[in-house]
Amino acid sequence: MDHLLQIQDLCVEFKTERAVSKALNGVNLTVDKGESLGLVGESGAGKTTTALASLNLLSKNASHKGDIRFQGKSVFQMKDKELLDIRGDKISMIFQNPLTALNPVFTVGEQIAMVLRVHRGMNKKDARKQAGELLEMVGIPRNRVHDFPNQLSGGMRQRVGIASSLACNPELLIAEPTTALDVTIQAQILELMKNLQEQYNTSLIMITHNLGIIAELCHKVAVMYAGRIIEYGTVREVFSTPLHPYTRGLLGALPSLDEDKKRLTAIPGNVADPRKLPTGCRFHPRCDLQDNKCADKCPEMICITEDHYVECWYHGGGND
Amino acid sequence: MDKKVLLKRMKGNPFFVIGAILALVILIVCFCSPLFIRFNPIVNSTAEKLHSPEGLKNGLSGHIFGTDQLGRDVLSRLLIGGRFSLLIAFIVVILQTLIGTILGIIAGYIGGIVDSVIMRLCDVFLAIPNLILAIAIMSVLGSSPKNLVIVLVVSGWVSYCKVTRNSVRVVKNQDFVHASQVMGAGKMHIMMTQIFPNVTTNLIILASQEIGNTILIEAALSFLSLGIQPPTPSWGNMISTGRTYLMVRPWLVLVPGIALMLTVLAFNFLGDGLRDVFDPKRVS
Amino acid sequence: MLKYIIKRLLQTVVVLFIVSIFSFLLIRIAPGNPALLMLPDTASEEQVKDMEANLGLDKPLINQYFHYMSGVLKGDLGNSTTYRVPVADVIPERLITTAKLTLTTIILGTLISIPLGIVAGAHRGTAVDFFSMFFALLGQSMSPVWLAVLNVYVFSVVLDWFPSMGTGGLKYIILPTITLAYPMAAKITRVARSGMIDTLSEDYITSTYAKGIKRSVVYRKYALKNALIPVITLIGIQIAQFLAGTVVVETVFSWPGTGQLINQAVQNRDYALVQSMLLISAAIFTIINLLVDIINSFIDPRMRLE
Repeated sequence: MDHLLQIQDLCVEFKTERAVSKALNGVNLTVDKGESLGLVGESGAGKTTTALASLNLLSKNASHKGDIRFQGKSVFQMKDKELLDIRGDKISMIFQNPLTALNPVFTVGEQIAMVLRVHRGMNKKDARKQAGELLEMVGIPRNRVHDFPNQLSGGMRQRVGIASSLACNPELLIAEPTTALDVTIQAQILELMKNLQEQYNTSLIMITHNLGIIAELCHKVAVMYAGRIIEYGTVREVFSTPLHPYTRGLLGALPSLDEDKKRLTAIPGNVADPRKLPTGCRFHPRCDLQDNKCADKCPEMICITEDHYVECWYHGGGND
Repeated sequence: MDKKVLLKRMKGNPFFVIGAILALVILIVCFCSPLFIRFNPIVNSTAEKLHSPEGLKNGLSGHIFGTDQLGRDVLSRLLIGGRFSLLIAFIVVILQTLIGTILGIIAGYIGGIVDSVIMRLCDVFLAIPNLILAIAIMSVLGSSPKNLVIVLVVSGWVSYCKVTRNSVRVVKNQDFVHASQVMGAGKMHIMMTQIFPNVTTNLIILASQEIGNTILIEAALSFLSLGIQPPTPSWGNMISTGRTYLMVRPWLVLVPGIALMLTVLAFNFLGDGLRDVFDPKRVS
Repeated sequence: MLKYIIKRLLQTVVVLFIVSIFSFLLIRIAPGNPALLMLPDTASEEQVKDMEANLGLDKPLINQYFHYMSGVLKGDLGNSTTYRVPVADVIPERLITTAKLTLTTIILGTLISIPLGIVAGAHRGTAVDFFSMFFALLGQSMSPVWLAVLNVYVFSVVLDWFPSMGTGGLKYIILPTITLAYPMAAKITRVARSGMIDTLSEDYITSTYAKGIKRSVVYRKYALKNALIPVITLIGIQIAQFLAGTVVVETVFSWPGTGQLINQAVQNRDYALVQSMLLISAAIFTIINLLVDIINSFIDPRMRLE
């Protein structure tokens, strides 16, 4: 079966002055055409690293093992030209921080137009015109094409980022929308993305730690912890019957509007430090269901139902 | 700041290592020089005028770098002059640090009008180029070592003030200071225990860079006959008087010049290396 | 942005005002009679009395100051005892001569340093990078005192390629230019390098790569502009410093500009000239720095909405 994007056993390490940071430790993920996947996890779980790796944009001090294949071809082994063709055209990325993702000394129009000139061979004039139309599409008046990023609000800048990522109608959109914006603005942007996705049948990887967004936008969800996917399945399955203690913790930490008042569950302990990962199952120090096996060996992903996979000794997992 | 990490970085940074060793060597040689120099650096000895450098022909008791136009041994003058210049540079930097830091902490912590006034004062001193200010004041006051120190301190204290003030402002607004205030700590106590340690790193870096600068300004002043006055040697005035003999006895200029260059180089390397050691993520 | 400009303008006015007070006080803090300082040694008693009246030494200090400033603003800066003409007559030509040297220095000083710094920043850790750092650190350690004399020795005395003093043609300007340009180039290399490194680590560069733009285009087009902003500021500050007076270099090479003038004034105890040069130097320096700040606020879009 030909997946659009296939991540196989991806491990990524960053060498810093003090230690080696193991950001990703065997990530397995697939995204098919038209599918939208939510990637959930706390900060430091490795979500952004996964996104950057998919475009082979890891920083120089990173080393990787495993593979990522786009339309069957490995992004790490592609020739430069192929990679440049894919970036911005077949796979686009929306960056998390709208305040830093745009170049302050170029107009927003230019930052959209550059994609069109490089991938669609447009000339300057046409590209700028098209950029204006793209701005309209995301709800910004087209005459703002000549403005500089600091003349726009945070929400508008995020929308510029969306516009430039959609300029060439990508097959896969990797989005890490910001939480630094007003909730109402966030809602508007989500609405926008939903419409666009339906209209163009774009595959989507939505990276966030906001479960509400995933429930709105995605078919499938993958929960990430300490550089591994620990639960995966359709949104309906995973959210209604979370299996992994971590997922349960995440969902339990959501205040509910209609149920009786209950205490919010807080997951005890701190997020695993990529420089000093626990042995065995990375989550075990924080888990109230842990036993000896958990500290010893890392569980494998097992299939609970067709739409639900989990990595946890409590639910089986691996040969016993 | 982790001491072990600092030491590791220090050892791994070539600029720091070279600068530190060189600076140390220069300092030790110059400061200990009265103990081992063979000749009197100030007394004239016209019979021995303008001898060429002998190198090590006569061992250490000969004129290794020759003699100057008044028969004085160049090496001795070089070392004594260096001693004097370095001494002045260190005194100046210490005074600059004191004055600048005190004013900076006051400005940063109290804020408001006091801050504005002190900042305007800084602006004024920044408005006049260092050397020109120094020249103007020296010309009116006359060139004694005391005045020299005053002038050098006056033309350089501003950086310390600004660095300290900015650090104080950053720290002042951080939560741990608010927390102390909530717990009842007085302003003075906060300044001393929480703000001051955070400022010291920047100050150490600044001071090590300023030593080089101070030596340069003093050399320029001495060169223009406004700094250290003959017969007391200073690399600046040695270069100045040696200029007349450049065609025939170039070493009179080259020797103090190279010494000046190496010394400033050493302290610049040291300052740069210290910056890297304290903040390796920083790029410049 | 207009607000920023107005704020800076006011700041400059205040600063210059205080500087003028300082220059006014200069001859009054010297030991002895200020009137004597303003006159040649051969002045007669009557001339001294005239000068005392002129300076208003019997009046309160504030009146003296106003008297002085009203003179300054009318262009009367006193009379130079060295040149025996009003100070104001001496300065313009000197300024132009210094400006010529400044121009050549800026050109030479940026020619190699900017490309070197940018390339070093883009290729950290390579041989080019180490060379650039060494070049820069060495340049910053070259005191004008030493470098000027070294240049004279090497190029005038030993090689006899260039004359060591005076003006008159291209060959006269080369040595002083090199002397001033090297330390400046050193600073620019560092700033260009760090500007490039900082820029390349920004998120927007990663996002530009994510759009499929080639590395060479990213460097040349999208990073370069950002990296050069601090360089332009630095060049402006250097211009200000040079025009305000490079005393040592002009003295060594007998270049008849403002720097040499200051030195002459001091050597000849021409205090009217010293006082005036202090004020003028500071004024030039401050005003040019103001212009640099204003230009900077236009170039750097982050400043535009301040």
